[in-house]
Amino acid sequence: MSLELGEKHFSSAQPESAARRIVTFKVGDRTFGIDVGMVREIKGWQATTPLPHAAPHVRGVLNLRGVILAVYDLRTAIGLGQTDATATHVIVVVDVEDKTAGLLVDSVSDIVDVPVSAVRPVPDLERDENGLIEGLVLLDSDIVALLDLAAVVRDGGGDAGLKTARAA
Amino acid sequence: MDPLAELKQTFFQECEELLGALEQTLQALDEGSSDSEDVNAAFRAIHSIKGGAGAFGCTELVGFAHVFEAALDHLRSGRVAIEDAPFTLFLRCADAVADLVSAARNDEPATERPDLLEALAQVGKSPQDAAAAAPAPAAKAPAAAPAAPAPAAPASAPAAAKGDDAPPGIAALGGLLAMVEAKTGAAASSNDGWDDEPAAPAAASGKPGRDVRLRIAPESDLFRRVIEPRVVFGSLPADDVVSIRCDLSHVPPLETLDVSDCFMRFDVVLRTELSIEDLHSRFDFTLASEEYEIEIAEQAEVSEPAPAEAEATAEVPSAVAADLSAILAKLGPASEPAPQPDIQPVAAVAAPTAAEPAAQRAAMRAAPANEAAGRQRQAVSVRVDLDRIDKLMNLVGEIVITQSMLVEGVRSLPYDVYAKTAEGIATLSRQTRELQDHVMAVRAQPVKAVFQRMPRLVRELAQTLGKEVRLVLEGENTEVDKTIIEELADPLTHMIRNSMDHGLETPDERVEAGKPREGTIKLVAEHRAGRIVISVTDDGRGIGRDRLLAKARSRGLVGADEKLAPEEIDQLIFAAGLSTAEVISDVSGRGVGMDVVRRNVESLGGRISVDSEPGRGCKFTLALPLTLAVLEGMVIRCGDDRYVIPIASVIETQHLSSTPIERLPFGQEVLRWRGEVTPLYRLGDVMGSSGQTNENIVIIAETERGNNVGIAVDEILGQQQVVVKSLEANYGAVNGASAATILGDGLVALILDIDSMLRLAASGGRAHSADIKNTLSDLKLAG
Repeated sequence: MSLELGEKHFSSAQPESAARRIVTFKVGDRTFGIDVGMVREIKGWQATTPLPHAAPHVRGVLNLRGVILAVYDLRTAIGLGQTDATATHVIVVVDVEDKTAGLLVDSVSDIVDVPVSAVRPVPDLERDENGLIEGLVLLDSDIVALLDLAAVVRDGGGDAGLKTARAA
Repeated sequence: MDPLAELKQTFFQECEELLGALEQTLQALDEGSSDSEDVNAAFRAIHSIKGGAGAFGCTELVGFAHVFEAALDHLRSGRVAIEDAPFTLFLRCADAVADLVSAARNDEPATERPDLLEALAQVGKSPQDAAAAAPAPAAKAPAAAPAAPAPAAPASAPAAAKGDDAPPGIAALGGLLAMVEAKTGAAASSNDGWDDEPAAPAAASGKPGRDVRLRIAPESDLFRRVIEPRVVFGSLPADDVVSIRCDLSHVPPLETLDVSDCFMRFDVVLRTELSIEDLHSRFDFTLASEEYEIEIAEQAEVSEPAPAEAEATAEVPSAVAADLSAILAKLGPASEPAPQPDIQPVAAVAAPTAAEPAAQRAAMRAAPANEAAGRQRQAVSVRVDLDRIDKLMNLVGEIVITQSMLVEGVRSLPYDVYAKTAEGIATLSRQTRELQDHVMAVRAQPVKAVFQRMPRLVRELAQTLGKEVRLVLEGENTEVDKTIIEELADPLTHMIRNSMDHGLETPDERVEAGKPREGTIKLVAEHRAGRIVISVTDDGRGIGRDRLLAKARSRGLVGADEKLAPEEIDQLIFAAGLSTAEVISDVSGRGVGMDVVRRNVESLGGRISVDSEPGRGCKFTLALPLTLAVLEGMVIRCGDDRYVIPIASVIETQHLSSTPIERLPFGQEVLRWRGEVTPLYRLGDVMGSSGQTNENIVIIAETERGNNVGIAVDEILGQQQVVVKSLEANYGAVNGASAATILGDGLVALILDIDSMLRLAASGGRAHSADIKNTLSDLKLAG
């Protein structure tokens, strides 16, 4: 499953008034992004307590200064199997709707400003049956998939889970 | 939130308190209190509501409150005697005000109550009219009964007046205080000290002992020695103190005053049996021997000012002395319920003779107001947003966790470092525990918050059901954590409804049974064994055991030929599917049966039980933990994961090896425990623990239905108090767990919920376990 985009590349030099500031991070060779406003903090990997019979991408819960929050494995969510978490992995603590959640990723890369018009819809070619990606941003060097965080954590607490069981 | 909305919110919060107070005082009056202070309190409450409502433009509320207030004013002014007042009507009006308040709060249209308004308007016109207009079919007819045209109760009139002018300009007082504090340093604080003293005996002269005069002239560095006058006086037996005078004549002019210096001198008269040596020894720690002298004053003129000091200075600005005496005069009624021992400034420049009678007059005025002042002081409180307390509580929870992390951390230190650190850590442990207790105490609220909703419920139900009921509340000030308070209202409402609906008979039936027409329901709260126990007792007919048993038999809950003890039959009231409504009375069910109440109570870690005596009444007892914020738990390990089981559900633990495991036909593992077949669940399987499990221990736990189950775990790690953390807040409900906690190493452990775990086990692939569970519970019920 790779991003097969036959579309033209976007040049970010175009002047634009409305801009989005996006934090980008990596899982494997993929780059994902979320609005910086949703990020509460970024911390190193910390052991989680697994939850019984939770969806596969729910890694478990951890204690963030007295608050208990669930950590979601982004790798599992996009169907690439479980992250073998080490001290170099990163948990991005985000605010989703009225909850706080952790997103387990490989590394945080950058903060970029992109004009709103630079966000492209996800082409049908992209297989994203869970609707995790809300849009694409084409940077000069990279394609950033903007995550719909609510979709990533949607099945937390339920027993259905994302349809992530599909073979990677 | 915009400031106005915020203010409005505060107003509604206040309204709730005021309504509570209003109802309480009216209730007290209805029950025969003739305390004019109660009338005043009711009047003040409705007056405050009216005032606030006016400010926020709640016109309906203002209108109604105004009429209500006018009616109460007749009582206050004595035009209607307290004994003759229609309190039943007033109580219904209080309910109506509550409705109007909640309508205003929710921006709903208010219901007009012309009937009540009409009735209220009649109050004070002519008693007969008032009674006619007050439809009081249900409760307390005698209270509303008319009496001869009311002669004003003479006592209530002057007392009534004092209520309104209670705060005679607090701001002014505050300003004065600040002024004097600035001028005389701790003069005011020395006065504060005496607020705490118990009242000296009124007639000191009747006391045995001799009069002793102490002249205390501390060095100016008294405060820097961290000694306050109150500490000095505190070492004297409070009962022995006849009077204390404070001599301010040595206070220098304001320009040259150093506030950290002490310029006060004291002249103390004691009537004591202590020897001079004793007195000396009492000042050992506070004063140097040259700072005081003791003289035995044979029949000393107690009330004479000390003339010597009076002449001593000329520079004291007269304002200081005047201010202070003004303050003391004001302090008298406002904050000092016991005017003795009184501190009287020996005003040096202002003629002492003039200052003293003033102070005495103040003391005289203070006397009648003392009671009111005392009441007001009890109510002194700070309004704090619950959110803030929750945050504080969270923080304390974190400190507890950090502290236990530290405890684990220092163990690995080399011995010499450890020894030093350990002491500090031990102190920290004690302090954090204390801090936690105090914060919990801040969160604690009296059950009054819930109890005071009940009288209205009873009144309304009594009317609907055509019964006469008296509700008695006891132990309303019993305190319990707010988490429990929130959960109390529902079960209590159900229990009271149950008692009113099914327990109490109609007035005619009661008379026939030789009981008073009016039934009694008693609602009592108390602390017992670290729990709050609330009982609802009625003097009704008791549980109809025959019908209950018949119903249970027809439902197959009890075998046809099975014999049950009477008490066992009573407990059937909590059985699922046996709504009391269907069984005991013909009044159709009010929705929820006692089984739901029981389930809710048990989900909070509580228990409910019933005692019934046919023909005499029935008593429901509810026992709940004092808080839901912390619980005593057993920390266990299974595979690589740790869990906490609430101690409340644990009955016993034993080695698995000593307990033979057998299998039922469908493969369910069972134990024989105390002669009963007890299903065994392996925690690792049910909760999907990671790592290799090796079960050694079986924990016998109790389910909500009172059944026992065995839970096999690898190891018991210990028992400790854990802070309950919500999983729902940031995630969602987790099957098998009620919440989570944070252990000493900062990692999260799930707090197991036995019943939820069993449901999980039943659904978790093992198809037959649920059936087996049911079979087993039937077996148990049968055996």
